[in-house]
Amino acid sequence: MKKLGTKRIVFAILFALILVAGPAATRIDAAPISIGSINPLTGKLASHGREILLGIQAAVDEINAAGGLAGNRVVLHSRDDQSRPEVAVGQAEDLIVRRKVTALVGGYVDSLVGPLSQLALRHHIPYVASASLQTHLSREDNPYFFRISHLRGLSEPLCGFVTQALGARSAALFHAATPGATELAGELFRCLQEAGVTVTVVEKFRPGVPDFSPLVLKLKPSPPDVLIAATFFQDHLILARQIRELGVPIKAYIGPWGVSYPTFVQEMGKAAEDLFGLCAWKPGMALPGTEEASEAFTRWFREKYKREPTSTVMHGYTSARALLDAMARVVGAGKPLTGPEIARALRTTDLLLPMERVAFDAKGDPLYYRQTVVQIQNGALVPVYPAERAQGSWVYPMSLSIQP
Amino acid sequence: MWLQLLINTISLGSFYTLVALGFSIIFGVTHTFNLAHGELIVLSGYLAYGLTRFWETPFAFTLPLCMLAMTCLALGLLALFRRLREPYELSSLVFAFGLALVIQNLMLFFFTADYRRIPTSGPPIRLVAHTLITRNQLWLIGLSITATVCVSLMLRKTFLGKALRAVIQERETARLAGIRVEHMNRIAFAVGGALIGLAGPLLGQSAYLHPSGGMEATLIAVVITLFAGAGRIRGLLMGAWLLALLESGTTLWLGSNWRELVSAGILIALLIWKPEGLLARKKSAAEL
Amino acid sequence: MSPPSSSRSIALLVVVGLTLVLWPAGGWHTQLVCRVLGFAFLYATVTVAWNLVALSGLISLGHAAYFGLGAYAAALLDRHVGAQAPVTLAAAGLCAAAYGLVVAVAFQRLRAASYALATLASVEIPKVIADNWNSFTLGSLGLVGTRPLPAFSVAGMELDLAHNITAQYYGLMALLALACILHALAIHSRWGWALRAVREDERAAAVLGVNVFATRLGATVLSAALTGLCGGLYAHLMGMTEPALVFNLHISAMPLVFAMLGGRFRWYGPVLGALVLYGADQLFLHPWLPAGHAAIYGLVIMVMLLFLPKGLGS
Repeated sequence: MKKLGTKRIVFAILFALILVAGPAATRIDAAPISIGSINPLTGKLASHGREILLGIQAAVDEINAAGGLAGNRVVLHSRDDQSRPEVAVGQAEDLIVRRKVTALVGGYVDSLVGPLSQLALRHHIPYVASASLQTHLSREDNPYFFRISHLRGLSEPLCGFVTQALGARSAALFHAATPGATELAGELFRCLQEAGVTVTVVEKFRPGVPDFSPLVLKLKPSPPDVLIAATFFQDHLILARQIRELGVPIKAYIGPWGVSYPTFVQEMGKAAEDLFGLCAWKPGMALPGTEEASEAFTRWFREKYKREPTSTVMHGYTSARALLDAMARVVGAGKPLTGPEIARALRTTDLLLPMERVAFDAKGDPLYYRQTVVQIQNGALVPVYPAERAQGSWVYPMSLSIQP
Repeated sequence: MWLQLLINTISLGSFYTLVALGFSIIFGVTHTFNLAHGELIVLSGYLAYGLTRFWETPFAFTLPLCMLAMTCLALGLLALFRRLREPYELSSLVFAFGLALVIQNLMLFFFTADYRRIPTSGPPIRLVAHTLITRNQLWLIGLSITATVCVSLMLRKTFLGKALRAVIQERETARLAGIRVEHMNRIAFAVGGALIGLAGPLLGQSAYLHPSGGMEATLIAVVITLFAGAGRIRGLLMGAWLLALLESGTTLWLGSNWRELVSAGILIALLIWKPEGLLARKKSAAEL
Repeated sequence: MSPPSSSRSIALLVVVGLTLVLWPAGGWHTQLVCRVLGFAFLYATVTVAWNLVALSGLISLGHAAYFGLGAYAAALLDRHVGAQAPVTLAAAGLCAAAYGLVVAVAFQRLRAASYALATLASVEIPKVIADNWNSFTLGSLGLVGTRPLPAFSVAGMELDLAHNITAQYYGLMALLALACILHALAIHSRWGWALRAVREDERAAAVLGVNVFATRLGATVLSAALTGLCGGLYAHLMGMTEPALVFNLHISAMPLVFAMLGGRFRWYGPVLGALVLYGADQLFLHPWLPAGHAAIYGLVIMVMLLFLPKGLGS
């Protein structure tokens, strides 16, 4: 009985420690302005969530280094959503209620961005989503939701590249069984059909399949010109390699997500040559007129965070910059820094950033978001399409003699 | 093309076997339901990744090092598992769930969330006109068969193996017969740890490494082990290859979106048809 | 049945219960706590439902099937028929109960590990169908825009379950209370003794005149219905249903963890486990360590099993 008593005490102390240490460790900073960010920081999507968070952090660090927002330090509160919407909503509520954040930013997957946009409306707190694609999310009856990306900015350049630039006759579509990838695949299917491209195979699979060889072999009897794999980083690591290993004579491999990363090239080595990907920004590829800002950001980012900035990081950075810019304008106009004021300011945003010219339509969708097709050539990401962003020409058909 | 599919299926099945083998030995002998199995495999993969990337160790040398490290780790974990109370299977399951979370997030902290891959050792080898076998498939098939044969021989031919099998079948009777069950537990964890150590680098080479990538491996190990009956090596091999064949076949003929349904349906049908496991002649000892 | 110190633990439970009931009236950050604990109540109900099957001696790893079916039933009725929430929720419970019936009948000969494996596989069937029946379930796109729960008035009190978090909190608490009563019955009533007899020794139970199959069937169907109801509530509360979200392995594993850590053989054990773990994780661990909370959570689970082997409720 006595032994049990000590155990209970040990246990009670442990719990008490958590209860006390938790709030104590996160004591509210004295700074008057705080913004909150919800991203997947653990689990399968952690790499993307952490990159977005880093981008947001970079924007906040940058503004603080420049003296803060009209003299006030900005504090970023970050939370994990564990890729579960109820957790995302609970943690956002925590940020709004306990941390008194004036705005939310971030978010990687649409199933998590959607509930957050509803919560934003409920609390009259503006929410600028960093990476959100699906069309149904933005609605005119939610004046507090904004995003800097959407599906069209991905599907239009991709479809244009396949049909006009490559002039492909046939294509195969592989996509992950997630809402975003499925919507993109549907959009591409429609667009390719309209342009007269035969879509030979459409296959859906769960992300994280350990072996793609049956799918790849399916392509072998009548190889399509182009394979579009709307799936994530990890699946490309296997799929792209098996395409080469099994020698399927496709002419182009396009990964809308997950390919245009320096880490992808690093892990894949030679097998990454000639693959196409899409990205909105990368070091050395900026919107006309922002080359210097882009260069400065890249240099500063490399020095401060000791890593290479990516398109995902830039999405986080751009969303945070758009938000901070609107907040600065509210403060500059001498208005109180409240949700409705910031949302009103966001509506009139017109900001030229390295990734995109940020301006929103009535639904909060970006007006100018457009990704660029890049190709991996000699280990570097070379922008090839559309012409006004291109820095090189594409290699087509891809070389299949390179072996992993 | 059929030959190619067969080779790829065998290589996938070999990977499944290797993943399930360690789990099966540990579960069979000690009744520890080690849900952290996949996480340990990924950890071993990261170890191999570090060795190849930073010390440029040849792939073949990373294997024994990883096996050794994982054996030590597994023995350390046994010391923790031993402190759990009855009902041991369930307690160990939940305990290992917690352990998996801890390992996963420590890996996230130390190795970052980036995906990693151990480079392949060389170009594929052409067998006949249109049929290739890659270096990592060779490694995978060779090592998986070697490991299976070694474990099988040990269980069947050596005195130690007989004692282990006795513990797998009737734990209490084995204890009464004078077998030191505690000692057998240690051996099972050591062997299981070595197999985990072997699976890790192969996972890193044929797929990729990510801190949260262990769950799939654990699921595969659990499904195959429970299906075959703990400690049944032949059943394990059949189960793993059958699973691989079903998955590949379904993907090829029906489409990959039905892959999981067919595997699950056939698994359920087999379980209903033979509730005690497909190859079991009598009830296997380990229960949940 | 009751331990000697039962009066003390009952007093403790009354205090805990009263605190939870009165919290919205003036506790610390009521909105936040209500939102987080509301979901804790939902998951506690799933845990209790899971334990009904566990009390009959079967460990299920497939409760996500019932949860997901419930969510899909509610969301589909809402979308295609425009049915009101009471109808969709009833359908959610019934759909899941029907699947529970199938599971109970099909797996009646399975025990222990085989049962666990079969239930684990049973999740894939509705999941893959929901994922691929594009014209009906919208496949992988998932169903969005499910209407929130309705507002209605009880005894002159306006109860707006759609927007008022406090109302949702009380609604979910009422559901949990109902589940707790069922759970207490499953332990202490005559039926509870039958369950216990089936769990401890099937053959002896059969000799004593307990219908083993019927007892298990009842427990499984009831458990499935309750879990399905929770799934339906989830669909209405979150406003969206996706295959990967509602048929998630996480939902199958969570009740096992909560019940084990709370104590499986007390009527309040699973609830205690769910409330304490989910609440502490969401309210304290997440804010404390946004990126590393899961490691501490895992550590807490390990420490609890080592030092409180019978669960928090012991």
